[in-house]
Amino acid sequence: MNPDAALAIPALVADGVLPAEAAPRLLRVARGELVSVHAELRALLYAGVLVLTGGVGLMVKENLDRIGPVAVAAALGLAEAAALAWTLRVAPPFSWQEVPSPNLAFDYVLLLGILLAAADLAYCEAAFGLLGAHRSWHLLIVAGIAGLAAFRFDSRVVFSLALTSLAAWRGVSLADAGAAGWNATAAWRWNAIACGILFAGLGIGLARWRRKAHFEPVAVHLGCLLALGGIASGLERPEWGGALLLAGAALAAIAYRTRRFPLFAYGVVAAYVGLTRLLVEAVHDFAAGCLWIGVSSILLVGGLMAAQRRMKEAA
Amino acid sequence: MTPELAGADRAAAVRAAARSWRRTGVIDDAALAAVESRFPDDRVRVGPVFRALLFLFTLIGAGAFLGFVALAMFSHQEGALALLALLAGAALWALTEVQVGHLRRRQGGVEAATSLLAIALLLGAAGWFLWSAAKLEPAGGLPALCLLAAALAGIASWRWGYPLYAAAAAAAVFVALARLPAGRVLWIALPLAAAPALLRLSASPRLAPAHRSAATAVLLVATAGLYLAVNAGTWEDQLVERLGGREPLPAPLPHAGPWWWSAAAATALVPVLVLVAGVRRRRLPLLLAGAAAAVASIVTLIRYLHLGPAWLVLTLGGALWVAVALGLWRYLESGTGQERHGFTAAPLLTDRGRQAALEAGLAVLTLHPAARPTADGHGFEGGGGRSGGGGASGEF
Repeated sequence: MNPDAALAIPALVADGVLPAEAAPRLLRVARGELVSVHAELRALLYAGVLVLTGGVGLMVKENLDRIGPVAVAAALGLAEAAALAWTLRVAPPFSWQEVPSPNLAFDYVLLLGILLAAADLAYCEAAFGLLGAHRSWHLLIVAGIAGLAAFRFDSRVVFSLALTSLAAWRGVSLADAGAAGWNATAAWRWNAIACGILFAGLGIGLARWRRKAHFEPVAVHLGCLLALGGIASGLERPEWGGALLLAGAALAAIAYRTRRFPLFAYGVVAAYVGLTRLLVEAVHDFAAGCLWIGVSSILLVGGLMAAQRRMKEAA
Repeated sequence: MTPELAGADRAAAVRAAARSWRRTGVIDDAALAAVESRFPDDRVRVGPVFRALLFLFTLIGAGAFLGFVALAMFSHQEGALALLALLAGAALWALTEVQVGHLRRRQGGVEAATSLLAIALLLGAAGWFLWSAAKLEPAGGLPALCLLAAALAGIASWRWGYPLYAAAAAAAVFVALARLPAGRVLWIALPLAAAPALLRLSASPRLAPAHRSAATAVLLVATAGLYLAVNAGTWEDQLVERLGGREPLPAPLPHAGPWWWSAAAATALVPVLVLVAGVRRRRLPLLLAGAAAAVASIVTLIRYLHLGPAWLVLTLGGALWVAVALGLWRYLESGTGQERHGFTAAPLLTDRGRQAALEAGLAVLTLHPAARPTADGHGFEGGGGRSGGGGASGEF
């Protein structure tokens, strides 16, 4: 509902700014006589899929011994097959470019099918020991299946599932291996940074090769968050503060030039945290620390306002 | 709110609508430029990312600077700290006035941060006065502090046009009322009495967009208060009485007595009534509130009826949930012109802010992006839906 637009529309039509034939529908929307529940239905579907797969996960966990393993695996297989069969039936042909979704439910039924397949695989692995000592490969297989499905069906939702499953595979592998006797935190940190760089590189590559270029934001955002988070996990040591400052500043500079505002925000926050970490190392007085944070934040606010003005003028 | 600010918000609402018409091709660039010149923006606005950064760093900076002053000068004097909070709160209140008024800042992040800090510091000073200087019991001073919070947040909402403060003011009033012996009755009676007026105000063209949004926010808080007051689970847990800090707590309702069954019936009925009101008046906030209340009622029902193990409830509930969403979508799609009773499942994109908030919420929850638009994703953008704030003037 937009009463101000509703008041303005008749005058805009009378002055020839708005086409008269479009006015009735625009007025209906502005007066709240026609309301879209598109976003709400999508959110409802997404939440429903998550609740349903959560229930299935609990069922598998709690009934491992009570229900026969074949029955559980078969039931899950049937459900996932039904979801994926429907997806295949209505899916548009493959294209390397963005393909509009055939309908509102498509992405979520596909996600349901993939999540059920992941649960089925996890159950089979637990019940039958399919993967032997390499149980963490379950996540790698899920990442692979989700990745293929994401490209075939052009689903960013499933693509992000593939990336997070891949990152989870690295984490679980390290846990299984006892972090190879090495410093466990350092191993996880380097894996997170490597995954982050890999994801960001994948995103940039997809955009450069014009192959599912619209997946790029998913990969780059997740990659930057993982890499910066990995670096930030070492902040108990000052050299990682320096690394965070450099990485954040570089990201903010690149994002500023390319006008990627959320990435700019990640970079600014990361650089500020890194710089503050370095200063905390040098200044041990709490009051002086407060003064530094106060003054530097206010300077940063001034800098951000100036940067915003320059970007706006350049546009 | 000054007439200039209200006018700027109204113009911003029209410009936002025009931009959505342009995106769907209803008008061309020349027409968009014509609309923007008729409804010019005289405010300093920034885009959402810069706004969030400016808000965050203003909060951190001002908070840390005040911390430094407190540590350096008054670290061992409670009264002096309270005085510092009072003075700083008053100064930040004045600074917000200057930014919103003379400097014409709107949706700029900094003025929102200074307004929030002003309210928090003034409340902190009042809290010290009530509990340390006047030596009131914690529970005794709570209603007074809540009423002061309601007054400050209410004035801030009215003056600067922040709907969130209106919601906070309403919530503070409810907490203050909970202290009274008839608190629960008031939680039921007040929302019922105020709802018709709030519904009218939330759609009134005479009000500024931000004030319409404020009325909607108060309506939602009142609906939540009403639901909490009648919910059978909160009767048993005496949530309202605990919120008000009442001692001793009244005896809980006896199970299976007439009052308990009344509460159970109301638990089921209120979500239905809110949903019906939302459908009849085509108000999305009411529909969302009704849906949330329905989920809460089902959870309450599960608590008392022991429907089965959690996995069964979740699996069947999730399946039912998906089925309801798909059924609704098919029902709306099959209507004449893909609409029924004034609702459509087509992406009219009536409010980009609402859609962005929903998508961001889901993305944060799961680290997943939102699904792509459907094939008819850009068929029509009505550009309605904004009832407050006004859009930023650009991408920055």
